[in-house]
Amino acid sequence: MKPHPAWSSLRNPVKFRIPTADNLVPIRLDIDIDGQRFRDTFTWNPSDPDSDVILFAKRTVKDLKLPPAFVTQIAQSIQSQLTEFRSFEGQDMYTGEKIVPIKLDLRVNHTLIKDQFLWDLNNFESDPEEFARIFCEDLGVEDPEVGPAIAFAIREQLCEIAIQSVASAKETRINKKGRRGAEHLPLSKPGGSALDTLKLFGNKSSVIRKRREWDLYEPIVDMLSNEEVDALEAREA
Amino acid sequence: MATSSGGGATPLKPPAQPPKSIPELTPTSQNQKLQPLELSPNPITPPNLTSAPPIPTADSKQPTTPATVNSRPREPDFDVIHVPSYSRWFSWNDIHECEVRILPEFFDGKSPSKTPKVYKYYRNAIVKRFRDSIIENPPSKENPMPKITFTEARKSIIGDVGSVRKVFDFLEAWGLVNYFGSPLTKAQLKWEDKESKNVSAASQQNSDNGGANSVGDASVPKKKFCSSCNSLCTIACFSNIKKDTTFCARCYVRAGVNSADFKRVEISEEVKTDWTEKETLHLLEAVMHYGDDWKKVSEHVVGRSEKECVDRFIKLPFGEQFTGPPDSIEPEENVHKAMDRFDIESNPSKKMRLTPFDDASNPILAQAAFLSTLAGVEVAETAASAAVKALTEVNIETSKEILESSAGDARDHDSVTTNGKSNTNLLEGAYLEAKLQLEKEEQDLERTISDIAEVQIVRFEELELQMEREWQQLRQMQNLLFADQLTLLFHKKDGNESMEQKVKTELS
Repeated sequence: MKPHPAWSSLRNPVKFRIPTADNLVPIRLDIDIDGQRFRDTFTWNPSDPDSDVILFAKRTVKDLKLPPAFVTQIAQSIQSQLTEFRSFEGQDMYTGEKIVPIKLDLRVNHTLIKDQFLWDLNNFESDPEEFARIFCEDLGVEDPEVGPAIAFAIREQLCEIAIQSVASAKETRINKKGRRGAEHLPLSKPGGSALDTLKLFGNKSSVIRKRREWDLYEPIVDMLSNEEVDALEAREA
Repeated sequence: MATSSGGGATPLKPPAQPPKSIPELTPTSQNQKLQPLELSPNPITPPNLTSAPPIPTADSKQPTTPATVNSRPREPDFDVIHVPSYSRWFSWNDIHECEVRILPEFFDGKSPSKTPKVYKYYRNAIVKRFRDSIIENPPSKENPMPKITFTEARKSIIGDVGSVRKVFDFLEAWGLVNYFGSPLTKAQLKWEDKESKNVSAASQQNSDNGGANSVGDASVPKKKFCSSCNSLCTIACFSNIKKDTTFCARCYVRAGVNSADFKRVEISEEVKTDWTEKETLHLLEAVMHYGDDWKKVSEHVVGRSEKECVDRFIKLPFGEQFTGPPDSIEPEENVHKAMDRFDIESNPSKKMRLTPFDDASNPILAQAAFLSTLAGVEVAETAASAAVKALTEVNIETSKEILESSAGDARDHDSVTTNGKSNTNLLEGAYLEAKLQLEKEEQDLERTISDIAEVQIVRFEELELQMEREWQQLRQMQNLLFADQLTLLFHKKDGNESMEQKVKTELS
């Protein structure tokens, strides 16, 4: 194959950020104190002052009537995720021509969502929130908590991928320093999907998805009954 | 983000019947006017309204709140949505300027995820959620104030939780969510939301609060239980004299209280000991002698800690007065100037109106509010405006300094140093000079313009003369031409005549 044009954009590293219109950090909380479990996911704005973290933790504990030991735990968890995110922030990441598949597989209260679609990492104007909102509207999802969960899932995956690309950028730099003419091997993993699309489009095949792949990419929204919900929760716990 | 769709695409529509236009409730002794927006024969309505049964008011700013009716069209009784009068600006589709003021981060364009559109989406989503939850669980006996929690709200809103929390706090503080309209419930304005811009508004609130809260210590010490949360009141509690209910401090704060009916009762003092007359006397003496040194005061008053002395002192009824602004304060320049005005204007025998500063997170502002409650509303306002004026004068000072520096270097040093001591004469001199120079320049300008204009005019006159001459020439030429034509005609005629004669002669 000819040298992939995707890698031409490797020359231009971009400052690390989540490739969405607003730079929000997905935060996942999973705290277990004395047998009481608190799981939650939400998005946080890293430019908010850190004092907000404590305020938020206190508020949440108060609202949900959790024991006060949760406050510090929650705050700590949020802080550590934030600092981790910030540690990546100054660095470069190579995005390349990355169109990545995003998979949704989540259960919110009684609604089960399964979906898969492609997302362009280079599109810094992308908006998972908007996507989630339209998703819920179009598919008639009534539970208002589903929207944020979808947005969060997308954001989380994007964040992971962005972190990976930073990591890989570091590796290539090290490699370059180490050996001349090193191949961009570490990139092949996250660049896997990019290769796919190139193959797709490069071979003059149509942009329309093949029929056998339709099922794969179709969104599925299921409503569960109470027993199923209980069963699933028992399994997760 | 759901934006104007909040008004349009939701299944809520304005009611079929036009809102009745009946005058608003006349202001009662309460400071907050209630604005129930729909008629409610529903017995669930809190029966505690001191005024007449709620009259439907036409509030054009809330076209969609009656729409909560339509979500359950079969029900004959509507839900009352109460909004305190200080929040009546709220409308689904607009953003009011006080929202811009209080939550500026959404409107300054610094963050792409905080735009007015997003703000509106958050706000409308939260309010809608609250109102929906009211419909689902209307206020009942067991749960007279079914509130929504922030966590509930943010779980269903797509966006970053920090901003959602701020919007939620704002809405709660202003009574747009978790407000139930009976005199028992009024949202407390939180200090951290109200920066210096709202000092006067807040001081009004606080002075009203304080007016009710003073004088609350005469009751017999007895165990007090909070009527809402059934917990023993330990530190302080608030009892509603009229309704004979008691709230503990937590419920009071959480519920929000209409201050006119609630009096603060210090439990700790009463549980431990009552202040006897003697002790009060001692206290007053001590304060007179030692002023602010509460350590000495507490020593003078046997058996009371500093805190107790302070508490007792600030709760003393009518007739007591502070001897002056406490020296321990270190206010900013503003407040200094404000205090100067206080001393001039304040009436020394003012009734003390103080408020519990539950969350005075900013100590300076707490002091400012404290002082402003001492002085009263109008004084506080004038003081604030005077302080602002003084600040602007300082600004003018600095700009005049700049002016002066352009005028002359030598004078600069002096003027800078003397201006620093607010020497107004030099200021005025500088100002006048600047004005003079301006005028001079203007005059120069005028002169040059008129010169140029004159020159142009002169040239125009010349041109006009020329034109006249040419016109005359043309006319002359015209005349000549006419004459020529005439002669030609004559000649023609002559020619014809002679031709005729010739022909005649030839013929004959």
